Amino acid sequence: MIGAIVNLLLFLAPFVVFGLIIGRTVEKQHFRRLDAYDAAHEGFLITQIKSFPMAKHVEPAPSLVVAEVVIASDYLKSWFAKWRNLFGGEVRSFQTLQTRAKREAVARLRQTAIDQGFNAMCNVRVESADVGGSTMVSRIGTAPMAAVIATATAYHTSSAV
Amino acid sequence: MQFAMIVTNTETVAGYDIVAIRGLVQGNTVRAKHAGRDIAASFKNLVGGELKGYTELLTESRREAMQRMLIQAQQLGANAVVNVRFTTSAVTAGAAELYAYGTAVSLEQIHEVRHKEKPGKAPETETS
Repeated sequence: MIGAIVNLLLFLAPFVVFGLIIGRTVEKQHFRRLDAYDAAHEGFLITQIKSFPMAKHVEPAPSLVVAEVVIASDYLKSWFAKWRNLFGGEVRSFQTLQTRAKREAVARLRQTAIDQGFNAMCNVRVESADVGGSTMVSRIGTAPMAAVIATATAYHTSSAV
Repeated sequence: MQFAMIVTNTETVAGYDIVAIRGLVQGNTVRAKHAGRDIAASFKNLVGGELKGYTELLTESRREAMQRMLIQAQQLGANAVVNVRFTTSAVTAGAAELYAYGTAVSLEQIHEVRHKEKPGKAPETETS
């Protein structure tokens, strides 16, 4: 019995270390990239209200922008989550995963809007998507992931924030 | 864009007036990802990072659903679709539905009455 547990731990150890090093690096880099994007586009007006604040009526007409993001969890996160499942409480490792997916989605919306020549967007809606099967449940053999679909309406604003 | 159609997820469109409502339009699609993507995803699950295969799947589904919605809108004689919403649902493990719906309307551009002062001309006084 103990031998089996030791064997299992030895088998899992490389994956945990793998996840620990690479997963952490990937996450840190992602957050840094997101911060850089946000800092670079500070003047871009993003609101979540349904009207068009400070709209300027010029061509082209306001347009829908959509962005999708699916981010995988790493082995360490999934492992932490499994433990958290035993005791209950906030699953921090998945919380940061969701944050990354949602921030990335909004960053992509903004990029699409900028590419189309707009300088503002309103009515930003961010929701979880279902890509087949359970998304955030860590069943054995299922990949825990954060899938997000975000929509907004891009338009022209008269004032730079 | 497939048609020169204004699509927004807001109820109104800045600079335009809704002159007629053509009705609800919808489009959906159910797509499955092939086994290769699932295998790639399971590897990606060790180290984390974006699952590009699944992102692409969502993007393709969304384009397809929107295309179907826009075809309906065009058949109704609309020139815009407002208040567009997307929802997703898992039909079975491995296949996901993406559903797009909105209200088809006819828009007309507002010809703004500008009260700009022109040289040699007194500004028009508004009667309230």
